[in-house]
Amino acid sequence: MSFLAQTVRQVLRQVPNRSSALAGAMRSLSISPAFKQQNKPAAESVDISAIAKDHQKEGLEICERINRQVAKSEQGRLFAVVHLCGKQFKVTPGDIVLVEGYWPPTTGDEISLDKVLLAGARDFTLVGRPILEPGLVVVKATVVEKTLSHTKTHFRKKRRKQYMRINFQRSPHTMIRINSIELARPVDGKSEAQESPKRLF
Amino acid sequence: MVFLSLPLLVRARGPDEFWRKRRIFKLAAHYRSRTRNVYSFAIRSVHRALAYATKGRKLKKLDMAQLWSTRVEAGCQQYGVGLETFKEGLARSDILLNKKTLSDLAIWEPRSFEALVRISRERAAVEGLPDIKRRSAFNQVYGLSNLKLD
Repeated sequence: MSFLAQTVRQVLRQVPNRSSALAGAMRSLSISPAFKQQNKPAAESVDISAIAKDHQKEGLEICERINRQVAKSEQGRLFAVVHLCGKQFKVTPGDIVLVEGYWPPTTGDEISLDKVLLAGARDFTLVGRPILEPGLVVVKATVVEKTLSHTKTHFRKKRRKQYMRINFQRSPHTMIRINSIELARPVDGKSEAQESPKRLF
Repeated sequence: MVFLSLPLLVRARGPDEFWRKRRIFKLAAHYRSRTRNVYSFAIRSVHRALAYATKGRKLKKLDMAQLWSTRVEAGCQQYGVGLETFKEGLARSDILLNKKTLSDLAIWEPRSFEALVRISRERAAVEGLPDIKRRSAFNQVYGLSNLKLD
């Protein structure tokens, strides 16, 4: 053990600046799980507010640029990642999305997909944590068709055991067409979520 | 006297032989060699094929999940981040995109994907995940690099 310590000390003497690198190496040898090992919090002497202000300013500037582009409608075609019926789909206007399984909306229904996880255009991306504010990106869709899938044969057989089962199943399929994806209001970095009375959740 | 009772019905072999065989032959129509024409061979291969198709539906889902993992891993290795670190960093930033979406983004929206990698890497560096060699810019700003905390 003392030999090990000596070696470590020696190495430290040789590379005084790299002690942090060595510490990193020691950390990887540690028994406690990697994700528990975190850096310690910041020292109090650092002026956090000034840095925060800088960050805020930068963020606002980016929002401003996005807003300007959207105002001039130069952003091009938007895409969005929506959460629908337990799955995530990357959609863009004109797409047809196939929803498998039981899903209540009927043919001809106009719906808006509210759980937008991510939206983007040519020059910017809005990332939701985990979803974007309600009403920021409006994804409109129409239910085009409700059908059943092709017949799937569920067949099991065990050899020499007189065991054979065959079942047939068809699951409901719903096709929806994405009509439009729009930025409903300017991106401003602040959350001003207005609770509309229609929302249930 | 005709007995139409249960014991006789048990012996009945269902529909007419021709129709019973035709159902199998229809499924075997595209097979090669005698598996197409000889009933005893055809039914063997049709049963096997149906069993494979049943199992294959599950395997397909597993295969796709593996494919998405591979794609996402390749995508984030471009920026020197491992898959596990990337996913952990995203999860800790409350970004709950799944593997399918991430692989789609990696292919079709490379710049959005790069942004996600950067977010994830920054979060991983701030929280000190072991995979990240480069120190966090955030920590440098806060002067943590001078304090030799880790």
